Amino acid sequence: MSLFSHVRASMRNVAGRSAVEQDLDEELRSYVDELTAEYIKAGATAEEARRAALLKVGGMEHVKDQVRDERPGMMLENLGRDLRHGFRLLRRSPGFATIAVVTIALGIGATSAIFSVINAVALKPLPYPAADRLLYITSQFPALGFDKFWVSPPEYLELRERSKSYTDIAAYLENPVNVSEGSHPERVNAVFVTANMFDVLGVRPRLGTPFAPEQDRPNAEPVVVLSDAIWRRTFGSDASIVGKQIEIQGRKRMVVGVAPPGLDLHDIHPQVWLPLGLDPTNRRNRGSHYLYLVGRLKPDIAPGKAEAELRTLVHQWGTLSPGMHVPNDTTHRLQLAPLQVEVVGNVARALWILQGAVILVLLIACANVANLLLVRAEGRHKEFAIRSALGAGRGRILRQFTAEGMVLTTVGAILGLAIAHWGLKALLAANPASIPRSAEIAIDPRVVLFTLAVAVVTATIFGLAPLLHLGEGVVSAAIKEGGTRSTHSAARHRVRRGLVGGEIALAVMLVVGAGLLIRSFRNLTTVDAGFDGRNLVTFGINLPGATYTDAQRRAQFIADLAAKLHAIPGVQATAAMTGLPPNRQVNANDTDLENVPSGPDLPAHNIDYYQSSTVGYFEAMKIPILKGRSFTPSDVGGPGVAVINESMAKRFYPNVDPIGHRVRPSGPSDTLPWFTIVGVAKDVKQGGLDQKAGTEVYFNTEQGPRINGYAANSFNLVLRTTRPIEALAPAIGNAVRSMDPGLPIIQLRSMDGVFADSVSRQRFLSQLLSIFAGVALLLAAIGTYGVLSYLVTERRREIGIRVALGASSSGIVRLILRQGLGLTLGGILIGVAGALALARVTRSLLFGVSPTDPTTYFLVAGVILGIALLACLVPAQRAMRVDPLVAIRDE
Amino acid sequence: MTPPTNLLQGTLDLLILKSLALGELHGLGVSRRVEQLTRGTFEVGPGSLFPALHRLEASAWLSSRWGMSENNRKAKFYRLTAAGRRQLDVETGQWKRIAVAISYALEAT
Repeated sequence: MSLFSHVRASMRNVAGRSAVEQDLDEELRSYVDELTAEYIKAGATAEEARRAALLKVGGMEHVKDQVRDERPGMMLENLGRDLRHGFRLLRRSPGFATIAVVTIALGIGATSAIFSVINAVALKPLPYPAADRLLYITSQFPALGFDKFWVSPPEYLELRERSKSYTDIAAYLENPVNVSEGSHPERVNAVFVTANMFDVLGVRPRLGTPFAPEQDRPNAEPVVVLSDAIWRRTFGSDASIVGKQIEIQGRKRMVVGVAPPGLDLHDIHPQVWLPLGLDPTNRRNRGSHYLYLVGRLKPDIAPGKAEAELRTLVHQWGTLSPGMHVPNDTTHRLQLAPLQVEVVGNVARALWILQGAVILVLLIACANVANLLLVRAEGRHKEFAIRSALGAGRGRILRQFTAEGMVLTTVGAILGLAIAHWGLKALLAANPASIPRSAEIAIDPRVVLFTLAVAVVTATIFGLAPLLHLGEGVVSAAIKEGGTRSTHSAARHRVRRGLVGGEIALAVMLVVGAGLLIRSFRNLTTVDAGFDGRNLVTFGINLPGATYTDAQRRAQFIADLAAKLHAIPGVQATAAMTGLPPNRQVNANDTDLENVPSGPDLPAHNIDYYQSSTVGYFEAMKIPILKGRSFTPSDVGGPGVAVINESMAKRFYPNVDPIGHRVRPSGPSDTLPWFTIVGVAKDVKQGGLDQKAGTEVYFNTEQGPRINGYAANSFNLVLRTTRPIEALAPAIGNAVRSMDPGLPIIQLRSMDGVFADSVSRQRFLSQLLSIFAGVALLLAAIGTYGVLSYLVTERRREIGIRVALGASSSGIVRLILRQGLGLTLGGILIGVAGALALARVTRSLLFGVSPTDPTTYFLVAGVILGIALLACLVPAQRAMRVDPLVAIRDE
Repeated sequence: MTPPTNLLQGTLDLLILKSLALGELHGLGVSRRVEQLTRGTFEVGPGSLFPALHRLEASAWLSSRWGMSENNRKAKFYRLTAAGRRQLDVETGQWKRIAVAISYALEAT
């Protein structure tokens, strides 16, 4: 049949349904009339003929129903009718409907919320044209344990010259800068990029131009590309900004462009883009690794081919450019990975675990609702038997059976999307920094599609549950039985018990996972960072090189500022240092250690962290000195001194007393001044609470300029005080302004806040998983309770007889508890087995606790057993109170 | 008679199309004509007749109109459309091929 006539017939059938129905009625009536007339002609009386004709037609409604099934558009009409029917049924039991819809909405909402995060973070390509062609290139120092290290400028320049796989390779480094515009200086994220970065990313500034190659040279005219955000926020969307001068790090720079909205690089959220200014002719600084590389593959080159080329290049590197620190096959490799994998990093794994967790919650929710529907379906056994006897087709009955589930899921899915929307907002507001690409997270068509798919699967599960016991012959059996019980009850109980056992197993898996994460989070927060983080307040100061050109002036400024801050009432101690523990970037500086032989593969000794700190630092931070002494005021004018940490002492001076030995930062000349080790300090965590401390050497800030002409530009100040941070903030602001009103105070916060920030991702994961586990626990408890209560109701008669025959009430309670606990124990065993099987997945997310940690498993099993006991108790009590007379007479 | 398989459903459609080849008939008329054509082998009850008629009409092989029966009663008459006539030819050809093939198969030793 043509599509057109089909559509027309469908429309007529759906729209003019009553007219069509009337037509059918008349047609059947006329058939009966004709048949009657025929019988009368054959000699029957009118009454006999009519009766015979009606008998022949059989169930008039049945015929009509079959005709209706043949009509096009019937699917739609039936669907509508079934949905209306479902709605009516649910309206009759609002309590059940509410519980079911809320359960489903929560399940679907959570699943969709997490999926939209995964969608934005891991599935959607990065927001650049042909983003899958972008590769991220880093270096490795396997002997030093650096798996993803920076690349040095000569390595970058040589790779760019020699490699044939890329249209181009760009380099960048990240470094926050001060932007002084108007009265309030601002500290913003910045990236220093090679001029070709915009081309490699495939983007054009929305205003102006990218950097010209000649602007990306040492001592070139200073220029800047602003981000769209800072252009709107700080420069009021000034359309004529291009060509104007703004002040960055105390230096005037000309704006050449404004980046397109949302342009990001490796989740840095840069507010300004600055030229890197590499000197292409300088190939001497092989030891300074500070660049990350982004390459765009040529259209016809596969990533595998680029990887093979890189391996070959690394292999030949030493012969092409001899020297120290040249890439090679063993001690200093180069590697590449898709930029997306790099940006998303190990967050994707955590997110997939969360997604798995919410799907478990959703399954538990489904099992609960399916159980409820099952109980309701059983109550309607007789109704269906009657419908069937009146001529309703089997398909029709099945459809009506599933209608309720469909209505529940539809409403639940719509509500679920709303929950996902608001849940996401809450999630992102609570943890803005712990998810990469968070600005891109939204409910987009793909998420809606996903929700739809989840809803369909959910509805199918609900549909299946009642079908499971609507086996052959049930209808006739139900009529014969005439009651709510059927001969198939054993099979149905198996289904229901299976559902609850499964729920418990899933809940066990989730709670074990959450328990392990909570324990590892607790471990993280109780890690000894090596200093006393309580009652510490800290902030950063950056001294722009343009104004603070002199090292002596910078060191003096910091020492003076520390002294000024010390004068604030309620401040017991202050100090300044370059690196803020417990989570800062590794330095990995080559260091000369006098009289310590260096290994054959390592041209120079390498120290993980350099710390330049003022006198009083160890005291202010309460870092114990294990041997020797800390810096004293006499060091300011005295000879060069250094303090090393325990790890460095163990590694480089395993058998000798390090005190008295000399160290110095490696440099081009052999005549650089030495620093004598005067003390060994306890290890302080620098690279994260979950990492080992690493080696660290402390230099004294005040004496630096005099000894080797060095003072840093960026410092952190710490104040030990019991006063709240809000009370101190004005005084700190005044102290800084009195010395230089142009300096922004960077991230004034308590050290507790610094600690919390350093574990925010772990906290985020453990909090979320705890919520899911809690919901799972609650749902499983409700499910257990529901099934046991139903079993007790069903066994009322049996219990009544038992009581009548003299069973004690404790015996009855035991009977019910045995049933409930058998169910629970089975579920727990399966759940524990499942959790053990997943141990490998969770291992990488744990800290200080094994994924098979017996304590957690026993604790979880105990808790769930206890909750199941509680869920059994109420039904057991009800069973105890069964009045044998009433129970038996009820039949 | 309820056709239990697709083959039989197809047969019923073919028989109905055939019964209308000579002219329009109402429901009972189709039923009687099929009986007559198959010499009483197939008796088409309303439970299969009406779904089939509606199905064929929805496929635009039949058209219907309300008219007066020989007993002077209002009745719904069905008649073949041009498409229906073509369909009859197609199905007749198909049926003949099947019939021949099956009889070959059954006669084979």
